[in-house]
Amino acid sequence: MAAVSPFSTETLSSAEALILRPFEPEDAPALQAYLNHPTLTGRRYLPWSSPDYPPLARQQVGKVIEKWSQTEEGLNLAVVQRESGHLIGHAECSWEWDPHSPSVSVVIDPAYQRQGFGSQVLSLLLAYLYGYTPAHNVSCWIADWNRPALAFAAHHGFRECGRTRRAGIRQGAYFDVVVMDLLRPEWQQGGGGQHAP
Amino acid sequence: MPLEGELVLLREEQREDLDFFRALRNDLRTQAWSKTLPPDYTEPMYAKRFEAREFSYDPREGRFTIVHKEAGKRAGLVSYTDLERRFSATIGIIVAREFWGTGVALDAQEVLLRFLFLELGVRVVRLWASSGNPRAVELAQKSGFQVSARMRQAIYKDGVPCDTMIVDLLREEYFARHPELTDSLPPL
Repeated sequence: MAAVSPFSTETLSSAEALILRPFEPEDAPALQAYLNHPTLTGRRYLPWSSPDYPPLARQQVGKVIEKWSQTEEGLNLAVVQRESGHLIGHAECSWEWDPHSPSVSVVIDPAYQRQGFGSQVLSLLLAYLYGYTPAHNVSCWIADWNRPALAFAAHHGFRECGRTRRAGIRQGAYFDVVVMDLLRPEWQQGGGGQHAP
Repeated sequence: MPLEGELVLLREEQREDLDFFRALRNDLRTQAWSKTLPPDYTEPMYAKRFEAREFSYDPREGRFTIVHKEAGKRAGLVSYTDLERRFSATIGIIVAREFWGTGVALDAQEVLLRFLFLELGVRVVRLWASSGNPRAVELAQKSGFQVSARMRQAIYKDGVPCDTMIVDLLREEYFARHPELTDSLPPL
């Protein structure tokens, strides 16, 4: 059986294929460019204590990369188009609290959204968590106003299991964060394991 | 001045409390999360954590020893973490077995909530619990917390998968339960 990386979609054509790799300091300019895109405001999934609304300076972005590189109980990965080498997003799996129930997040540069990249990344993350770790419940945490992300997660089999009320303030009002989860048997029944590397 | 309720005082941790904390932490009945296991904590570990605390005007957590006023004994510990100043905090409580069913836990929880809402001005307080520990959820509900999320089979406790329960209490819900208090904080 040929060795296949759990962090790339090598079965796809090169134009579509992605690689998930660690961030490097050199990624800062490209990361800063898309993190400061207005449509990503409030849904950048930055490390705890990093500001999620204001524009980020290069130095702040450098600190974000530094924090991501220090993650020990999880993965913070750059999403890179294999053919072009362009950084088009970032992804996280975190099992800091319990490897039995990690969380995931995916952020795609708005210029590359609605082209299937987010789905590829999420599939890779789930295949990794269920193929290489003892994960049983994988959750994602999405602001209630982020309807595209809620639909995206539901499309991938996640079910709403509640919400943390009053998770933040946006445009002068409180918002909730919707908690969605996906159990290993559900992922398997949904065909998730069939294409796992 | 300690924080005071009808039955308990909440005061700062003291060096003399450390062996009591060790014993609480090593009781499987009071532990919900695998991350806190195994129950082999030692007093030097607690001493190290105690010594590591530094003076700060920006603490993101508070830890208090629960003292039963009448008995003059330590009854447990209660804390808040993840403080987002003027916005939210997450609380936790552990009560020694001998004080279960005495009202100590509820009194301590109420004292801490009063501090968080009146002094720190938070808008919401959260608590994480396990469906395998219904006493914790019931205790929270006695103070008005609502179950807002239930992550299925997200933890493993006592040999069975349990749900992780996230419960929360909004500021206005807290004040509605306490007509003796006035909320002078302007709403959004």
